[in-house]
Amino acid sequence: MPQILLIEDDPHVREGLEIALRHLGHEVLARGDGEAGIAAICAYEPDVVVLDVMLPGADGFEVCRRVRAFSAVPIVMLTARSDDMDVVAGLEAGADDYLAKPVQPRVLEAKLKAVLRRVGPTTMTPLAGPVVFGDLVVDRGSLVVTKGGRHLDLTPMELRLLLELAGNPGLVLSRQQLLASVWGQDYLGDSRLVDACIQRLRAKIEDVAAEPQLLRTVRGFGYRFGP
Amino acid sequence: MTARYGSLQQRLLLGFVGVGLVSAVVASAATITGFLVVANQHPIGANRVGRRLTGWLPSTPSTQEVVLALTGIGLLLMALAVTTALSIAQRVLRPVGDLAHAADRMATGDLSVRLVPEGNDEIAGVARSFNAMADNLDRSVSTLQQLESTARRFAADVSHELRTPLAAMTAVTDVLSAHTPGMSAEAARATHLVVSEIGHLDRLVSDLIEISRFDAGTARLDAELADVHAAITSSLEIRGWRGEAVQVEAQPGLTAHLDLRRFDVVVANLVGNAVKYGRPPVLVAARREGGDLVVEVTDHGPGIAQPALPHLFERFYKADAARARSDGSGLGLAIALENARLHGGDLRAGNRPGGGAVFRLTLPGEPEPDELR
Repeated sequence: MPQILLIEDDPHVREGLEIALRHLGHEVLARGDGEAGIAAICAYEPDVVVLDVMLPGADGFEVCRRVRAFSAVPIVMLTARSDDMDVVAGLEAGADDYLAKPVQPRVLEAKLKAVLRRVGPTTMTPLAGPVVFGDLVVDRGSLVVTKGGRHLDLTPMELRLLLELAGNPGLVLSRQQLLASVWGQDYLGDSRLVDACIQRLRAKIEDVAAEPQLLRTVRGFGYRFGP
Repeated sequence: MTARYGSLQQRLLLGFVGVGLVSAVVASAATITGFLVVANQHPIGANRVGRRLTGWLPSTPSTQEVVLALTGIGLLLMALAVTTALSIAQRVLRPVGDLAHAADRMATGDLSVRLVPEGNDEIAGVARSFNAMADNLDRSVSTLQQLESTARRFAADVSHELRTPLAAMTAVTDVLSAHTPGMSAEAARATHLVVSEIGHLDRLVSDLIEISRFDAGTARLDAELADVHAAITSSLEIRGWRGEAVQVEAQPGLTAHLDLRRFDVVVANLVGNAVKYGRPPVLVAARREGGDLVVEVTDHGPGIAQPALPHLFERFYKADAARARSDGSGLGLAIALENARLHGGDLRAGNRPGGGAVFRLTLPGEPEPDELR
């Protein structure tokens, strides 16, 4: 049974979500603030983290960034406001997905399943041999990515996105296409997931993230990979 | 306003020119009399002026010379009178013109416009009254705007505050529902009521927060090139509206720059209303009209009552006050309209000639790729 770490400061919301997740058959750990949450991630290595944005002390965005420094554990943000800014900030801080409060238990369950499925073993057919783009080497067989000979730490979603893009060099892929092929979501999935993941990927593979040479935006259409 | 102002200008000018002409004629007549006296060399008593003038004139001026000199003087006086009249008219009319211009600007919504009163005449008085009126109006409008924004912020804050307790309740609704089979009939009914009302409250709060985002101007458009037919069918399929009851008619390959999440909200709202209040078949038709994308949702129900039409997009508007509270929040169409406007488009409602309601969503034509994001 997947172990879920819930980081939520409001005791009633925490209790409600705990009851709901246990009812659905999950094993749940609950913590009331960011520090305790980060400690729990180190101690228990949960399968997925459900993280509230509004937390006392370090807020959800900061917790997310700090967790990303040492762990690729899937994170679903609970945005109390679901403001567009919050969603984008959460995804850019490294969250894998987000949900607006109040969240229906069934929606939460579906989201958790989707996130766990995505970060699970990749179903893409491994292609032999490394592909080279300048000093970036993507080995689609061993799933190892290096830049200038240095090994790059990519989260499962970043790796999947890079594999998909590197597999179609020179082609413009729309955000909807990438959502369908990489995230496996239906047509109306949130394309901001793609934008945020692209941003994080650029920060790792580009020389200057703000002036991408490999992963270019084709305005209004999508993204194109290639030198 | 402008027409009356024009005729006022004409009348003033005519008046001044008339007065000028009359005075010129009178002055000419006086000069003529004097001249005749002098020219005919009939010194009446000791007319020194007459004598001095005769020194200037030829000793025996011919009649022709006298007439020429008189005509010249008359014309000179007339020109002087007309010029004076025109300049006075201009000076009187300029403040009137300024006033009219200021009033026009205020009519178009510029409440910052003020006049500079010159002198102490009636027109300066009008200018001062105008300024006082503008000050009052400006103050009242900003007070109203402040009140409205406070009210809206309050609604947004309340919705956000409601969200936390609602989140705790929503989380456990499924657990409650799952246990109803073991409950007494009464407890099961009570549980069902609580669960369904929590759902209703949830939709209401979500919609309030959504509309408060439009009010605060924080709603963002996230548009991309999308296939219109696929976007519509996807919205319908998610909600189980397919087949005979809801039909889609869209050119294959029809694309538009859409924020898919927002487009889905609009389509779901319009089709949802058509299914709920109209009669099947509901038709969703998409096409290009002059460079715009037009999506029409029509049903075969009784249509919309004429008095309700202008109010349909108002928040919490109920077409029939007596009608029982519906499942919706009462904000659906208001949110749909805001989403259309965020795309730079519009949403209108009407009735088909043969009966049934028509909702027409218009989104502006294909922008250049560079204009996006």
